[in-house]
Amino acid sequence: MRHSTADPHFLLRRLHSLLGLLPVGAFLIFHLWENSQSRFGAAHYNGEVVAFLQGMNYLPILEIVIIALPLLFHAGYGLVITTQMRAELTRYRYVRNWLYWLQRASGIGILVFLLLHVGMTRIEGIWRVSVREDLFGHMQHLLSQPWMFGLYLTGLLLSVFHLANGLSTMGIVWGLTTSADAQRRFGFVCAGFGLLLAAIGLHGMIGFLP
Amino acid sequence: MPANRTSIRFKIRRQDAPGSPPYWQEFAIPYAPDHNVISALMVVQNNPVTTDGQRVAPVVWDRNCMEEVCGSCAMLINGVPRPSCSALIDSLTQPIVLEPLPKFPVVRDLLVDRSRIDEGLRKVRAWIEIDGAWDTHEGAPRISPSEWSANYLYSRCMSCGCCLSACPQFGPHSDFIGPAALAQVRLMNAHPTGRYDQADRLHAIMGDGGVSDCGNAQNCVRVCPKSIPLTTAIGELGRQTTVQAVKDLFGG
Amino acid sequence: MNTTPKAIVIGGGLGGLWATLRIADAGFPVQLFSLFEVKRSHSVCAQGGINAVLDTKGQRDSIHQHIVDTLKGGEYLANQPPVKSMCEAAPGLIHTFERMGVTFSRTPEGLLDQRLFGGVKNKRTCFAGASSGQQLLYGVDQQVRRLESLGQVVKFEWWEFLSLLKDADGVCRGILAMDLKSLEIRAFPADVVVIATGGFGQLYAPKTTTSSHCTGAAASRCYQQGAWFANAEFFQFHPTAMIGRDKNRLMSEAARGEGGRIWAPRDPSDARAPNAIPEAERFYFLEEFFPAYGNTVSRDEASRAIWHVTRQMGLGIQGTDRVYLDLTHLDRAFVSGRLGAILDIYRKFAGTDPLAAPMEIFPAAHYPMGGLWVDFERDDSGGMRPDSPRNQATNLPGLYACGECDYGYHGANRLGANSLLSASFAGRIAGESVVSYLKGLDHHRAPLDPTGVASEIARQQRINHALMRSDGPENPHQLHQELGALMTAKVGVVRANPELATALDELRELERRAASVTLGDSSAWANQTLIFTRQLQDMIQLAMVVAKSALERDECRGAHHKPAFKIPLPEGKFPGDPEFEDYRTRWRANNDQWLKTTIAEFNAEGPRIHYGEIDLSFYPPTEPRDYR
Repeated sequence: MRHSTADPHFLLRRLHSLLGLLPVGAFLIFHLWENSQSRFGAAHYNGEVVAFLQGMNYLPILEIVIIALPLLFHAGYGLVITTQMRAELTRYRYVRNWLYWLQRASGIGILVFLLLHVGMTRIEGIWRVSVREDLFGHMQHLLSQPWMFGLYLTGLLLSVFHLANGLSTMGIVWGLTTSADAQRRFGFVCAGFGLLLAAIGLHGMIGFLP
Repeated sequence: MPANRTSIRFKIRRQDAPGSPPYWQEFAIPYAPDHNVISALMVVQNNPVTTDGQRVAPVVWDRNCMEEVCGSCAMLINGVPRPSCSALIDSLTQPIVLEPLPKFPVVRDLLVDRSRIDEGLRKVRAWIEIDGAWDTHEGAPRISPSEWSANYLYSRCMSCGCCLSACPQFGPHSDFIGPAALAQVRLMNAHPTGRYDQADRLHAIMGDGGVSDCGNAQNCVRVCPKSIPLTTAIGELGRQTTVQAVKDLFGG
Repeated sequence: MNTTPKAIVIGGGLGGLWATLRIADAGFPVQLFSLFEVKRSHSVCAQGGINAVLDTKGQRDSIHQHIVDTLKGGEYLANQPPVKSMCEAAPGLIHTFERMGVTFSRTPEGLLDQRLFGGVKNKRTCFAGASSGQQLLYGVDQQVRRLESLGQVVKFEWWEFLSLLKDADGVCRGILAMDLKSLEIRAFPADVVVIATGGFGQLYAPKTTTSSHCTGAAASRCYQQGAWFANAEFFQFHPTAMIGRDKNRLMSEAARGEGGRIWAPRDPSDARAPNAIPEAERFYFLEEFFPAYGNTVSRDEASRAIWHVTRQMGLGIQGTDRVYLDLTHLDRAFVSGRLGAILDIYRKFAGTDPLAAPMEIFPAAHYPMGGLWVDFERDDSGGMRPDSPRNQATNLPGLYACGECDYGYHGANRLGANSLLSASFAGRIAGESVVSYLKGLDHHRAPLDPTGVASEIARQQRINHALMRSDGPENPHQLHQELGALMTAKVGVVRANPELATALDELRELERRAASVTLGDSSAWANQTLIFTRQLQDMIQLAMVVAKSALERDECRGAHHKPAFKIPLPEGKFPGDPEFEDYRTRWRANNDQWLKTTIAEFNAEGPRIHYGEIDLSFYPPTEPRDYR
């Protein structure tokens, strides 16, 4: 008999699951809400929202500990999990089987998107003062290019799907939902939650447009 | 079902031995409305001549009860894992494509080695610890009818392996124990004396290849010929392992 | 010998696994052999339940009544001490199964539920949904897996028993078995062997409800090495099995019990759909033959009537072996509620709805009461002496038999729901008996002669090689069909001596033909045709035992029905009437002559039959059965 604390497998899997929601998922919700402020214009966005965040003490530490490390673990371990997948989408055309595949595919997609997104905003902002000082303008410039808008939209939808579907399977993994009915009901709740988040995110993206 | 059928056609994936290359052969037998895949394979076995007129070795496959309780005869029929005894010819599109149950090593033709199912049951300790198979002169604990009817669903698992074949996480590439053994943990943990060893069984499925390797694709529950609520069992084990982990971490 | 003596159990059904548990419980290592994963054994097919007097239904049921029902059901042909012990042990067995976690159906209070089953007056049958046999087998399978994890049991699945290894004194000292994948033949020395390989319904294929591995080949191999085979002529046919090309599937008697009617078109060439045939043109033969009971006559009577109508009157549907079992006149909701499980089976395997059109059925070979002869030791109470090494012992020292492959518990016919009980009980007793045998062994016995073992391996290998090279005209699967048709036609539901004599001749012809086959498969890997052909040859030997035993027994008793020797109960006459007294005298004389165990011994020219006394010490037959 192996004690679950002696064998890290279970705790790592659960940690991966938990980090996906807290703090990574929670940060996504916050991030989408924060950027939905774009509709109030550059002055409000740059002056109130971004400045408030940039003015926080220990910001880099918070960013690293609350966002970057959990995200990196979630992504890295997620890739490890994904190697176990042998999905046969045409043989088993069930919704959950597609969601199972999409969860993993979206994870990889999000990883690519985030490298670009973080590179073009947070990292670029480190040495380009203009990005730091007028993030609104920077985003407006980016999103005005249709292909870039498409990239961001894809990244947004993948992220929102990944969070909503992840939440629904978390219900099973952690034992919140057991019966097929409960799992279906919670699935709809998560789908609604995902749609709401997508709407907030899209609203924020449109808010940047001139 | 088309009325003008005159023959039953099969396309069968064959393999002479483990490791030897698979190949396809086609067979046709005279049509009859009351055939299932096994009875039709028996006709092929009597006279194993391919549609090209070539006499070949009889097709090797596994069967026993032919009533869908022994679990022997599962194979991939038109791409879906299912018992062949209950696969009625009239409900299948032709040519009927037969392949060995995937994810398990092929022994020969449609016969596969499913010993991994047994290993899984051993690993999760899917039994009730009893002192011995003798009389104890005492009645066993009571079980309410509603609890019974939930348990009974799981006790009908016949280790056919269909759920494992359909599971995208299970296979030679992974340690995942699969839904069949997990459902037995759910069953044993629900028994009044089986509960005594719940922690042992949970620890057995909290390691590598355990319940957390499930990816929730839920194909298992869709292909199970006995409609066993495998995903409910996995959800319930999620709950039990959550509690167990809290006990392990903070319980002393 | 200074190592712990070890046991071999062949067969992983209820009997074999129970024996395994009791031997391993006592600390002796067990090697368990099976043709496939043990949990796929035929025990899983039993649907109905397992009898045990728990008297929880307010009916004042008693163990005595269970014993009497079993003995009378078997028309007194069973030895009574084993039956008595079995019925007494039943409640304890049930509770042990319950402790193993078997999912028995429950009452609202959470206790074991019991239901009524054929042939008895009281609710005495424990059940687990509609899959009792499966649940019981899984209970012991799980326990064997537990012992396996402790190293006390080693399973050899996908191995086939070929022959017994006997020492110079004729004592059984192990087996020779073949790996069904590599075809390797290997000797497994042991100190005792238990054979628990089930019945032999495949002799009647495809008109049998049994699984495809129920060939009786293993028991036949023991018989051919000197083990006695008893009461082989008693084979229970189930009247209402749905017809299939691979096998016939049992439709429970409940279908008749709930109002199902059996009929055939009066004109056998009538090609109309059954629902289009008007009432007047339907032959409700059970209702005509048995006005008092109608469709609810006993299993045997129903089987014989269907046989008579199809085979003798030629009135089967379209002239074939089929009649209708009709539920379409009944209320759909009522039938669905009462017969849900069997309706599902019919829908699943026939693809049609039995509530829309009648089911097509025919009698099928279901359960052999006969099997390997086994001994018992009677104790002062009139039951079996616990732990006696004689219990379940065959006539070959060191060989024990239990389960459907022994002859011990059912006499001339088997009570419904007694088969799971006898398999479990006999397995447990065999295990305990083996433990006594092992404890009593001389620890300084000479080891097996290795040259003898080597020559037996070589002999078995030669059989394989000869079969693989054989290029005779016969096809083994074709021969199996011929065997099934022959046994069904001439050694089946109704028997007559001229036919039985012909059957024996034809079996000898089949034996000859089975020696000149072409396998069509020369592979030395997982060659199923080779494996089956070897089984087929042994099935033919066993079929001869059945036919010969049936030929020799000139009477009607239980499942063995020979109309030429029937002693009819005079109609309307009761005790005191000279006609009835004459009947009683003839009945007693018949018992004096035939109330004996048929014992077949192997002989190269054909089975040799002798008769053994029956222990009637508990409830001797004094009066003929009279159900009026």
